[in-house]
Amino acid sequence: MKKSVSILLGLFICFLLPAQNISDLIISEAMPSCSESLTDGYGRHSAWIEIFNTSQGTVNFAGCYITDDLSEPTKCQIPKGYSATRLGPRQLAIFHASEDNARGVFYLNFDILPGTTVYLISNDGRSVIDSLTLPEDLPEGLSASKFSNDAKELVFDELRAAVPTPGLVNGKHEQKSRAQSVKETDPHGFILSIVAVLVVFAALLLLFVIYNISGNIFSGKYKPASSCDDETALAIALALHAERQCGDDMAAAIAMALHCHIEGGVHDAEPLFISIVGNPSSPWNNKAFTLRKKVRQI
Amino acid sequence: MEQIFDSLSQFWQFTGFANCTWQHLVMIAIGIIFVTLGIVKEWEPMLLVPIGFGIVIGNIPMFPGLNIGVYEDGSVLNTLYQGVRQGWYPPLIFLGIGAMTDFSALISQPRLMLIGAVAQMGIFGAYLLAMAFGFAPNEAGAIGIIGGADGPTAIFLSSKLAPDLMGAIAVCAYSYMALVPVIQKPIMLLLTTKEERLIEMPRPRTVSQKEKIVFPVIGFLCTAFIVPSGLPLLGMLFFGNLLKESGVTRRLANTAGGPLVDVVTILIGLTVGASTQADKFLTGNSLKIFGLGLLSFVIATTCGVLFVKVWNLFLKPGRKINPLIGNAGVSAVPDSARVSETVGREANPSNHLLMHAMAPNVAGVIGSAVAAGILLGFLG
Repeated sequence: MKKSVSILLGLFICFLLPAQNISDLIISEAMPSCSESLTDGYGRHSAWIEIFNTSQGTVNFAGCYITDDLSEPTKCQIPKGYSATRLGPRQLAIFHASEDNARGVFYLNFDILPGTTVYLISNDGRSVIDSLTLPEDLPEGLSASKFSNDAKELVFDELRAAVPTPGLVNGKHEQKSRAQSVKETDPHGFILSIVAVLVVFAALLLLFVIYNISGNIFSGKYKPASSCDDETALAIALALHAERQCGDDMAAAIAMALHCHIEGGVHDAEPLFISIVGNPSSPWNNKAFTLRKKVRQI
Repeated sequence: MEQIFDSLSQFWQFTGFANCTWQHLVMIAIGIIFVTLGIVKEWEPMLLVPIGFGIVIGNIPMFPGLNIGVYEDGSVLNTLYQGVRQGWYPPLIFLGIGAMTDFSALISQPRLMLIGAVAQMGIFGAYLLAMAFGFAPNEAGAIGIIGGADGPTAIFLSSKLAPDLMGAIAVCAYSYMALVPVIQKPIMLLLTTKEERLIEMPRPRTVSQKEKIVFPVIGFLCTAFIVPSGLPLLGMLFFGNLLKESGVTRRLANTAGGPLVDVVTILIGLTVGASTQADKFLTGNSLKIFGLGLLSFVIATTCGVLFVKVWNLFLKPGRKINPLIGNAGVSAVPDSARVSETVGREANPSNHLLMHAMAPNVAGVIGSAVAAGILLGFLG
């Protein structure tokens, strides 16, 4: 029974966890070779393509393929067994189209020219994950970039020629900062202030409600300190008053007993609390034990 | 002989005397005043002494290029300053605050949380004023947080929103925190009548250990889900409190609330002080920030006290709240609560308000962290 519950729980957790999905990868930017293009690890200007992980999870693209010819989808395989092929959330990888993929993990065995369509193929060797076509008339020095019109979801639905930004999320450097947007939409700051005040109130109000409810529950379980202490104080005051009049130790003992009774007989080790030890051999009324002085100190 | 004179002349160029300007002297004087106030008046000595001495350190005139200044990459001071710049120190201080703070007062009287919420009006009042003074929204947000009366939060937010103003904002926040008794008391006396100051509040109920353990977990979940951008501060605050209250991590709680927070306080104070170099600090903007900071404290205190007065109109006798605890909604723990106690005892020596004032006070810590999260979310 326990085992099946564990399996079900495990399956449930697995269901909740975001799956690593190769389909979250896109070819976000590409640039043909020219004198201004990126230099590879060997110092040569080469064409390049940029792969972007749009998801919030890490994606391993080892074993996938990149090709410029759909009739040959397995033209260039991304090597397996390298940790560099694990692409973190919202991270980018650059592949150099240097026509020699033996140079390293991030090298392709073909060149990219204007008009070429580059395909990212799944590791099954058939499914096209994403593609990007470089315009025939792409001006030299510019790249073909996909831009997102939805900064949150990063849906790259707009392809245009742009200043190359290898290794940077396209358009991010062009986006307005939040402060600039606030300045435009709320020049005096009133809206932000009202919203912020409401949120602060909501947060503390929520805590207030929760602790009010929990307080009611707990206060039924635990006696309020005030009534207990008041009763104790009253009993002790009466006993002390009686003691002054009678002149014996009995009143002090009554006060002690009352205190012990009200507190439920619980001995408390904290200072300034009277603690009675149930020791029958203890001569509590012996002045040598300074019991009365203790009572007066309270 | 001539060579010796040349060397001495060259050495002279390296000394502070040759590079000194009046701005350096002004800043050194400010630093010494801070140290003096901390030692003689005992106004927040834990903060004013390190900050004051840091100001002196940061304003020793020097020949540029020696790679020793706080703004020079790779220097020792620069390395220590990264904790401020990158915002590591404030969450660590919040961890310590959580490990030191007893939230019983708040748990037993949750209604007083609302005072902590109202007192955050100081933040947003200062934000609006800063916008009116022509600051950019991110700068206005960083300036506004001074009204939270919470130094670590001010440093955390300004390091994210307006790093250039961080020195002025941090010094301003800590200075006014040290001056809480001076700023708040006259406002409290002005806004309350003698009868109101005499109000005695019922003793809070006893809070069980279970409640104390559950509080940081529930508190964190509630606030973090509403404002995830306040996670570094809220997470550390409640985590520190859980260490304290769980009863099984006493060593960790002692470290977080003792040596760790002491080390970070020294580093944060010293480096914030050192970051106030004359050329970056003595500007018109700094003066504006100090003015706005003072106004934010005034607004926060006024709103807190007035809110309690209005609230009292709807409360039954015996349940009324002493408006003198309204000032404690700012998160200067426990200074503003102490002000409530002091002013309350001046009116009625047998009336102890400290325990009651601690409730809005710690609610203010949570409220200012939430407010910082909101501002970071909108403007960061």
